[in-house]
Amino acid sequence: MSKKTTSARAGLGRNNEPPLLILTSLASGAKHGYALTKDIETFAGVSLGPGALYGAIARLEERRLIEPTPSDDRRQPYCITASGRMALADAVREMRALSDVGASRLGLRLSTRRTGRVIANLGEAR
Amino acid sequence: MTRADRFERMIRWFPPRWKERYGAGMVALLEDTYGNEDVPRRARFSMMRSALIERVREFGLIGAGAGANERLRAGSLAILCGWACFMIAGADFAKFSEHWSASTPKQHHALPKLGYMMVQDAGVIGVVVVLVAASLTVPSFWRFARGGNWSSVRRPLVLTTVAGICLMAFTAGIAFWAYGLSNGDRNGGLWPYEVVFLLWCVAVVLTLVLATGAALNVTRQLDLAKRTLRTLSGLALVLSAAMVAIVAGTALWWASESIYAPHFLRDGIGSGVVNSSSTFPLSLVIAGFLMLLGLGIAVTGAARLAPSLRRREVSL
Repeated sequence: MSKKTTSARAGLGRNNEPPLLILTSLASGAKHGYALTKDIETFAGVSLGPGALYGAIARLEERRLIEPTPSDDRRQPYCITASGRMALADAVREMRALSDVGASRLGLRLSTRRTGRVIANLGEAR
Repeated sequence: MTRADRFERMIRWFPPRWKERYGAGMVALLEDTYGNEDVPRRARFSMMRSALIERVREFGLIGAGAGANERLRAGSLAILCGWACFMIAGADFAKFSEHWSASTPKQHHALPKLGYMMVQDAGVIGVVVVLVAASLTVPSFWRFARGGNWSSVRRPLVLTTVAGICLMAFTAGIAFWAYGLSNGDRNGGLWPYEVVFLLWCVAVVLTLVLATGAALNVTRQLDLAKRTLRTLSGLALVLSAAMVAIVAGTALWWASESIYAPHFLRDGIGSGVVNSSSTFPLSLVIAGFLMLLGLGIAVTGAARLAPSLRRREVSL
């Protein structure tokens, strides 16, 4: 039986699954539904359907990983919470560990300076 | 219809509480994304799928958010839904197989008889379990109705009662007619009787669907005591076991009849499915499909309630 990773335990799923994509998008600031889909399309090349997006938003809100921010508009923005940042940081660390192993086995050289700084920043949020 | 109305209509399948919370945001997203364009099929499918998932989640059948009580209740009700499929499949099977012993050589009766008895006995056990479970909820229902909540369940209950009375009258009429007909006329020889019989089957299915819907509606609203909920869950597991026995009995009967009396399956009601063997008559294929569907629903329900029942973590 495979061992569950930290991000899987937090219910974020695999790397390209909606919860992780949404948390990654919200890490740069609050966004509403449309802005989220556009941002995710830009950085991950994944086009989330409206059902999948709001299903994931509901689950993340239930787990208190994101929360709605006050708005006068019908477009409800969401922002990442402290627990959300922690869950995302764990997920990023896991992905980093996996990519390091993959890179070393393939003999690839990855630029680590920027990635390391981003992960360090995420860690500070804890 | 305005643009907003068009998008409002698209979210109508989601549960009311969900729509209240996320509906406006989702409509705004749809407006921003599609404007005056047609919404692609992929997006429509994504929304329908999500609406179904949210309904199942609200029912308490999936998701970590549901408490132990909700899990027990949702699991038991899912098993009841599975049983409704078995009621329809069982009626179909009973009609098809009613004269099997006359068409099967006596020396080969043992196996099909064992299968048939399994179906019959498990069916009786299932009906008794459902009646006992229904009787256990009567005191809670009485308190619920006296507490001024009758209006919230009146419509489904009245509808089911009316449908039940109509079905009884229909059944009496068709039985009276059938009494004066020969065996051949009752089994495909007289087309007006065939048509009325098919209508009667539709009426049975509709009444069962209404009754199951009413049972779900009422039971979800009842304030059930801890012990009652645990007993109902235990009974639901017994009902699941009865469904497993019915499937096993049907498979045994079907397999042994296809070996010892294939002509009975070939000449039975609903035989002659295109591209299938003659031992796979349409009527039995439908019954088998409904049984497997019902079993799937029941297993999902059992998987949901069993852990909560084992851990004794029910709290009110």
